[in-house]
Amino acid sequence: MGLFSDTRYLFVRYLKKLIRNPILLFFSLFQPIIFLLLFTQLLGRFSSIPGFTEATGAASYAIFATAGILLQNAFGSALQSGNSIVADIDSGYLQKMLVTPVNRYSILLGRLLSDAFRVAIQSIIIIALSFLPFVGVTYVTGVPGVLLVLVIIAFFGLAWSGISLAIGMKTRSSETVFAIGGFITFPLLFLSTALVPLSFQPEWIQTISKFNPISYAVDAVRVLMISGYDWSTILQAFGVIGLVGLITLSATVYQFRKVVK
Amino acid sequence: MAEIITVSDLVLVYADGTKAVDGISFSVKKGEFFGFLGPNGAGKSTTIKILTTLLKKTSGTVTVAGHDINTGAPAVRKLIGVQSQETTVDGDLTGRENLMLQGHFQQMPGEGLKNRVNELLRLVGLESAADKRARNYSGGMKKRLDLASALVHKPQLLFLDEPTTGLDPQSRNAIWAYLERLNKEEGITIFLTTQYLEEADRLCKRLAIIDFGKIVTSGSPIQLKQEIGADSIKIALENCERDKTRAKELLESLDGVSEVVDIGSEECLNVFAKKAGPLVADIVRAFDSSEIRLLSVTFSSPTLDDVFLRHTGRSIRTEELVKAPSQMPGGRR
Repeated sequence: MGLFSDTRYLFVRYLKKLIRNPILLFFSLFQPIIFLLLFTQLLGRFSSIPGFTEATGAASYAIFATAGILLQNAFGSALQSGNSIVADIDSGYLQKMLVTPVNRYSILLGRLLSDAFRVAIQSIIIIALSFLPFVGVTYVTGVPGVLLVLVIIAFFGLAWSGISLAIGMKTRSSETVFAIGGFITFPLLFLSTALVPLSFQPEWIQTISKFNPISYAVDAVRVLMISGYDWSTILQAFGVIGLVGLITLSATVYQFRKVVK
Repeated sequence: MAEIITVSDLVLVYADGTKAVDGISFSVKKGEFFGFLGPNGAGKSTTIKILTTLLKKTSGTVTVAGHDINTGAPAVRKLIGVQSQETTVDGDLTGRENLMLQGHFQQMPGEGLKNRVNELLRLVGLESAADKRARNYSGGMKKRLDLASALVHKPQLLFLDEPTTGLDPQSRNAIWAYLERLNKEEGITIFLTTQYLEEADRLCKRLAIIDFGKIVTSGSPIQLKQEIGADSIKIALENCERDKTRAKELLESLDGVSEVVDIGSEECLNVFAKKAGPLVADIVRAFDSSEIRLLSVTFSSPTLDDVFLRHTGRSIRTEELVKAPSQMPGGRR
């Protein structure tokens, strides 16, 4: 019953809201851009530490860190997606949809697809900036590699949106969604291979890093940038993203069913 | 099928134990303009939420447009239009986009929908603002847009939960005129809830007065007022608290008084009597000789407020000023 068409109409609705409130697009983008343009310069001499290039294959710290910053943005952005569903619950718009024959799951699907789309647009902006000469990122895998990077990031964003949507529907409070997003982004980022190569990390952080889902996605993006189609790393990333997605989206569907029951 | 809504022994208990709807039964005929009148927290919105498939009832039977509300919810949704208490338009979309989207929710095909949206924009007087974002609309315009979106699929049955709450008198009049037209000219059945006496009086052909989740009485506004069979005299005292009991005894001893009700607000006491005019002089004299100082005495033929007062011992009007007794924690959803 109208799943496809209803999803499309709701996707378009969110898209219009996004275009008409560009602040939503740039809100979570601000911090990653500061990281990309300033933080990588601040730590620029990191790459002259003996062994850096051997360990990472990257010619500069900026090139190494860009993958991490892309995923930092995707993570932070995805963790805000619960706000939109809280807004629809608060305003009564969700109820307005629920008294119509609209397909129930299209409400969720339209939301998730637009979140993935938003993360992809943000990532394109970061990738474009990373081509600036003083950042100096290039992709050995070329345009197809960039596209694959976008796919990885979009799925990564989708998987983590689930957490935020579930929390949003459970607490119905955008403050909580916002606080949780702000609270877990940096710890998870610092305990991964996003900003510092694994072999440079203290042992206890290495242990956590190896299990951190962010590390897997970062590593996949990084190999596509620096060394080429290393399929085992890429497929591992998809596996981990799939697993995270399965858990978070199950929680989302569970909460959603409670909301629309 | 003459009856479009039938409700019997409907009960709704919220998870926290609040009994919001307590065994109500009523029915609405096709083409009728029916209303629920009651104070905040009486159970009006809760009943509408059950009838519009948003809430699952605890017990009782409900059929809407021939479908059982439990088993036929998807069929019911195609036939009803709903305007909730909060105005829900998407401020980021234009008026036209809001209506188009609502039509898509109702699974309406493209070309017919476009025409219907234009027709509705004209009907509710939003043609010139149709392509502006709804965020910039005034409160009255948003309400009209919301109403239009409930009508996009030409529903047989329209549910309106306090459709004019918070509106200025002018916008209110415009909505009233439009609702009357919908009911008369297009034959749409309307179920409305309100806490405004004037609104119930003017619009509803039949109404049920609801309080604490129960229907206390029902009938046409004229019938309900006639049933009181008496004029209503409102008495305000200079020192209501001190003189109230004495004044009440005094009033009850007067000839022609059928009932004295303690309102408990600045208006103090309400007297129901067959012929109010001659009695006023008696009241003034009696109070004067007992040294009870009057602030004012007003009398009128009975209003719906008097109907409510007669049946519940409280006034709807005062509930708007004083904290409503039925507005318990979690009472209003």
